[in-house]
Amino acid sequence: MKKISKKSTAPSSEGAVDLNFLGRVRSKIQDPFFWSDWLVVVAFVFVIAFFGAIAPAEFLTLWNLNNILVAASIPAIIAVGQTFTVLTAGIDLSVSSTMTFGAVTFGLAFTNGWPLWQCVLIGTIAGTFVGLLNGLIIAKRKINDFIVTLGMLSVASGAALVLSDGKPRQVISESLATLAIGDKANIPYLMMVAFVIVVVAHFVLFHTRFGTHVFAVGGDPESARAMGISVVKIKVAVYVISGALAGFAATLAISRIGSAEPAANTSILLNSVAAVVLGGVSLFGGRGTIFGPFIAALLLQSLSNGLTVIGVAAYYQYLSIGLVVILSAALVRTDK
Amino acid sequence: MKLNRFVKVALVAVASSSLLIAGTTTSTAATKKLKSIRVAAVVKGLDNPFFIGIKEGIEETALKYGVYANVQAAPGLNDDIGQANKLDSLAGQNYDCYIVIPISSNNLSQAIGKITKKKKTVINIDSPVDAASLKAAGGKITSFAGTDNFAAGKAGGEKMVAAIGAGKKIGLIAGLAGNVTSAARVDGFKAGAVGATFVGPVNADWDTTKALDAANAMITANKDLAGFFAANDQMAQGVGKAIKAAGLKIPVYGVDGIADALNEVKAGSITATISQYPYVMGQMGVEACIIAAQGGKVPAQTITPYYIIDSANITAALTNKSTRGYFPNQTPPGTYTNPYTKLIKKN
Repeated sequence: MKKISKKSTAPSSEGAVDLNFLGRVRSKIQDPFFWSDWLVVVAFVFVIAFFGAIAPAEFLTLWNLNNILVAASIPAIIAVGQTFTVLTAGIDLSVSSTMTFGAVTFGLAFTNGWPLWQCVLIGTIAGTFVGLLNGLIIAKRKINDFIVTLGMLSVASGAALVLSDGKPRQVISESLATLAIGDKANIPYLMMVAFVIVVVAHFVLFHTRFGTHVFAVGGDPESARAMGISVVKIKVAVYVISGALAGFAATLAISRIGSAEPAANTSILLNSVAAVVLGGVSLFGGRGTIFGPFIAALLLQSLSNGLTVIGVAAYYQYLSIGLVVILSAALVRTDK
Repeated sequence: MKLNRFVKVALVAVASSSLLIAGTTTSTAATKKLKSIRVAAVVKGLDNPFFIGIKEGIEETALKYGVYANVQAAPGLNDDIGQANKLDSLAGQNYDCYIVIPISSNNLSQAIGKITKKKKTVINIDSPVDAASLKAAGGKITSFAGTDNFAAGKAGGEKMVAAIGAGKKIGLIAGLAGNVTSAARVDGFKAGAVGATFVGPVNADWDTTKALDAANAMITANKDLAGFFAANDQMAQGVGKAIKAAGLKIPVYGVDGIADALNEVKAGSITATISQYPYVMGQMGVEACIIAAQGGKVPAQTITPYYIIDSANITAALTNKSTRGYFPNQTPPGTYTNPYTKLIKKN
């Protein structure tokens, strides 16, 4: 009784100095921005704890946690690129077919006997090129991101089919196989690659002038322009980043499935958008982190893995993953 | 004293229970009881009735023998990596056997390699896993059960030429670009339709509407088309609509034998469907798993049956109903060989 009355009288918004701990926690959890940053972490911990409690012997094994990290690595990289475009209030709907386009160029180079590093490079360049086209059309011609990248989704997947003649190219390479299934200290190589990209992206976004400009352009393009920031350059740059990362992720995809597939994998796109929203990046631009979407990518894969491990029928999995995405988006109201 | 007694009781309990466990494990190692066999399956997207048919076959056969089955599907239509993730998630679990249908011929090879390392059985049904990529990943497939798509297409080609006569022009509608199944069916049809000339194949991505559009375009450009072959039933339905709209009376053959297609064969808007029996594939997959778990010798490869269903045998086909009705043709309206059933030990 005493405690409750104390709790209800103590916190006052003006007397911020003498806020006790509970009061501070309360005002924190009432702040919508706190939730946009931390909900994904809470949800991730909850999902791990939930499946860990239901199936400790199956879910919480090194083998299985390793699987989750492997599964999350490609979505994490794509989500990083997507975060950059969304931070400028844009969106890149072409990521899945950009990745396919990168994979197909990789596959062509590989079948023509190019060394592996050149294959990786050409795949990344192919993705960068698609991103550059996206950025130039969006920024120079001032056309809606949604429409341009939706068009590019089709263009890039068409280009991938034309280049590959619709045929998968088998890529069997010892080093790629090691990349796909190897690990060090139980951390899979694929996740290490993804994590390096996440850390670099975090540094670029929060510790460079370019990063500040990205936030400025996303937050208020007019003031950004008034401050002398080239909105066009920043816009082009974020799509180049998204395209390059999608092209690079093609290498990881090829390492996992052992071939360059000509048909686009649309789950990649849906996953990246879901991760960005769950990760607390505002769809209106100017607000967000890199680690949020990264944790969200882990969360989505943990959810999918956990449901499979405990044997939830496939139909209910579609339902539950969709519900989690909508529910979290409803909780994280980042609109201004 | 009290504590001591408690400890003693606990010790006895632990000892006896571990004995019990030891006892059961040794006995199952010799001949695995049906009830203790656990099967996991990863199929393709369940947005296609064909794979629902396979799922049904797996689940009902498991139920019949009393084994446990967990059927999972790829999260999306072309989600090759997502499907590999699913198999990875199941690979670490306590299953005796894994039934797989890869989305592309390569995408599950590495996951299968991991399962082989754990000395578990993998049974491949429907679409074959590529041998080279499987070898590179160190994977092993104990048994394959699937349709010979080339032979099924070829039978369709022969039948159509017999019906319309040689030297005619036939339109070809294929599935997704680069899809092995689609290519085998179309190539088989061409090999069977001796003396015919072909328009296409045009890729309609297994989709009814896209096939309708493609067939419309082909009819407009080629007034002398004498027939159509579509690499699956959903596309054949689209072609059937296009033929009707153009006021033509030419045959269209599909492949698969899905519920809607059988109804349309009865109604006459599709001429024939070269029926496959996904239910039988699922059934054979589970049976192969049981044989392997019981330590028996599993047949390495089995060709599952296909039947051409047209106006002559549609009534028989339609009476052969599934309990859940997704793929009405559970088993063919005739005889077929199943080398697995007789090898299972009932215990």
